[in-house]
Amino acid sequence: MRRFIVIASAVLLLAIILAGWMNSRQPVPVILIPTLTGQPEYCLTCHADLSEISPSHPVSTFGCVLCHGGERLALDADLAHSTMRGGRNPSDLSVVEASCGGSNCHSGSEADNRDHIQRVMTSIQTTYAGAITNIRFTFGAQPDQTARFGIRDVTDEQTRTGITSLASFDPAGESNQFIRKFADNCLTCHINAVPREGVHYMHQTGCAACHSPLPPGESWDSGNVHLLTTAIPYTQCNTCHNRGNYDLRQMEFIERTDHPVQRIDDYYQPIAQFVLCEYTLDCIDCHTRIEAMGDGDLHGSKKGIQYVQCRTCHGTPTELPLTKTLTDPNDIAFKLAFLNPVVDLHPGDTILVTEKGEALWNTLVLPDGTYSMVSMSTRQYFTFHPVMGSACTQTGEDQSSAYCHTCHAIER
Amino acid sequence: MRPNFFHHLHPPTIPAAQARWRYTLGAGGTAVFLMLVLLVTGTIEMFYYVATPEEAGLSIQTITYLVPFGGLIRNLHFWSAQLLIIVSAVHLMRIVFTGAYLPPRRFNYLLGLALFVFAILLNFTGYILRWDTGIQWALVVGTNLVKTIPIFGNDLYRILIGGTQPGLATLTRFYAWHIFGLMLIAAILAVWHAFRVRRDGGIALPPPALRTNKERISRFELVRREVLAMLLTDAALIILSVFSPAPIAAPITEITTLVPDARAPWFFLWVQQMLKWGDPFIWGVLVPLMVLAILTLIPYIFPKPIEGELGRWFPRSSRIAQIVLAMIASLIILLTILGGLPVL
Amino acid sequence: MTAESRRDFLKIARDVMLTLSGALAFGGLLRFLDFDPSHAPRTEFDIGAAEDYPLNSRTLLPDPPAMLIHTDGGFSAFSLVCTHLGCAVEQNADGFACPCHGSRFDAGGMVTHGPATKSLRSLRLEMTAEGNLKLFTD
Repeated sequence: MRRFIVIASAVLLLAIILAGWMNSRQPVPVILIPTLTGQPEYCLTCHADLSEISPSHPVSTFGCVLCHGGERLALDADLAHSTMRGGRNPSDLSVVEASCGGSNCHSGSEADNRDHIQRVMTSIQTTYAGAITNIRFTFGAQPDQTARFGIRDVTDEQTRTGITSLASFDPAGESNQFIRKFADNCLTCHINAVPREGVHYMHQTGCAACHSPLPPGESWDSGNVHLLTTAIPYTQCNTCHNRGNYDLRQMEFIERTDHPVQRIDDYYQPIAQFVLCEYTLDCIDCHTRIEAMGDGDLHGSKKGIQYVQCRTCHGTPTELPLTKTLTDPNDIAFKLAFLNPVVDLHPGDTILVTEKGEALWNTLVLPDGTYSMVSMSTRQYFTFHPVMGSACTQTGEDQSSAYCHTCHAIER
Repeated sequence: MRPNFFHHLHPPTIPAAQARWRYTLGAGGTAVFLMLVLLVTGTIEMFYYVATPEEAGLSIQTITYLVPFGGLIRNLHFWSAQLLIIVSAVHLMRIVFTGAYLPPRRFNYLLGLALFVFAILLNFTGYILRWDTGIQWALVVGTNLVKTIPIFGNDLYRILIGGTQPGLATLTRFYAWHIFGLMLIAAILAVWHAFRVRRDGGIALPPPALRTNKERISRFELVRREVLAMLLTDAALIILSVFSPAPIAAPITEITTLVPDARAPWFFLWVQQMLKWGDPFIWGVLVPLMVLAILTLIPYIFPKPIEGELGRWFPRSSRIAQIVLAMIASLIILLTILGGLPVL
Repeated sequence: MTAESRRDFLKIARDVMLTLSGALAFGGLLRFLDFDPSHAPRTEFDIGAAEDYPLNSRTLLPDPPAMLIHTDGGFSAFSLVCTHLGCAVEQNADGFACPCHGSRFDAGGMVTHGPATKSLRSLRLEMTAEGNLKLFTD
């Protein structure tokens, strides 16, 4: 018996030493107390190598949990990630209000320019109302092209378009088989589509669909795809646009199988005409914030929201483009230039503005009456003339695609 | 050596045949040791646990991940609690299978049964203190079962919950039960139970005239065996705690949303299975109470073991009681296994 | 080896191992108890724009309790936590007095009357690039 006790004492001592050793092998908790929440979080214990997501969302101010959710005190991956919002993408529209919203953040008032979420929820890229309406009209499910359905239920009480609400589109209630085929094959193209399986697709919904492009030098598998930016490259738009061809007779979508590299030769459809701007500038140089994120109203087609044309920057033979001299230091143009510093804007500068008053903050009216622009993502520098006083033979009112393109589109 | 306090807690000598590991399995003594471990680890956990709905889950995460050795202490507390149920069940079965409930030990059998019930209640209340999504089944369903009791079910529910639905008052009450109310009564019962062992003549054995083996061991040897058992149990608890952490889940945010694979704690899986068969009062309250009633009545209604056959396993005279207990135990184990299988 | 010496060795070995186990467990317990779940208290406070505190002003700040002074020489601050046992001192005609045990300090924070023996602690200040003041209590 005494011998057994000696052995048991040794076993106990070894067990205690084992417990101590296993304890010392655990990672040292790394604490972060973000100034916005004041609540300690320990995500950095494992995720310290993640890059800062953007200069306007520093981790020392926001922390991680404010946007992502999750269990801030847990050091076990399963528990820590169990209450994360939206998985790898907290900006997915199903959880965006909790992650990105708030009156001080991105679901505030229109006057403060903080109403991004409200605008995106009603935008046509989200509701897909145009495509749904057109298909239903074409196949006789509705008598006119008034939008009635969107991807999800959405209402717009202060509508300026006359559309006060859209009901959730239910393909099971459609009698026409082509409408149902459309639903099966084509409804992956909206910001709140359910993403496909695979780490590459998780960022293609919500705000991240545009604002989280792949950081340079990273791959989607590397895990370090932590980026929020307003300098959105054209390749990000092309993760959804220019994905393939649709066959309207079969109501099928034929996805492209190549890996395009050259923008004009590979990315873009061979069936269309393009002018230099269209394959040189960044998409967001022309497709403004209202065009991309909506104006807060429900629209039934792209026509209602896409309004920027060649003349917005170039003017017509009889009119110069609209300009604005920046005097108010709180002008949103300065804020946008600060977020994406491709130009050095000062009070007193004159920039171009769109017909709806949106500041084209990356442009400048030069002293000699010509204009300059710096591309928002590629940072290419351009100078250009107004149409007025040039050899252009067009009449100012003819602004549809055929007109400028007749002379200025390239042959491929 | 001069006998010390612990030696004097034991009789000067005890019969060698009944002191053997293979007779008692050391189950009762191990149960006492596990209770001591629970007392110590539970007390030091109290330095960090906060019993409010907002803080409970977070304080447990603090203990588990942030406090030095907090995870180890919590796992020790968890494993000693689960092993206590198992060891107590083994002890109960040993008592019945060796006929050790014959008077004068019959009252002590009832005390032990009460202790077993208290161990389960302590385990359940401690489980609820986690206040995370893993315990929600037990909290919502388990307390709703009380409401099914006719006549005073609703009043009993209100007293247990401290209101009309589980919330802050529930957590406060369960904490009070766990660290004091139940603990105090269990401690008194445990001391009484141990006292009665000595008063009733120690480990059950045949009367002196019928004993064949007169060999005895000293109190020193007995204490040595107990120390050995404690050291080994301690080492086993530490190994278990190091390699198998106690369950944890995200804190409860809304009391009513249940996760899809809601499960009862393992010692109630057999009740969860039975609840699938029909009326909740019958299968969730009445049948378990009937099981307890049968266990209580074992020394009264079945043929009693004869004195001469005590001190060994499976005496013929009390065979029926052994078979009944074996059947009940097998059924409960079977239902537990069925309940524990992953949902297909 | 004799039976006795083997027994003594085993006894010593057993006692050493058990003592070591106990000591390790006790050490672990001490480390367990030495943890602050609320983590370190805040030591950095943003008290607003410097222009809110004009020249020659003396401002009583509520959180943390402190006196902020703006003179020709710049900004300075001292804590209003009594150096005796930690109560918040109150302003009076001569300076400050502590309601708990009667310590008194002059308008500059120097101790004039016990039981406190040390003057009110001066606190570090920093100006940010945007012209805000930060107060440090560490």
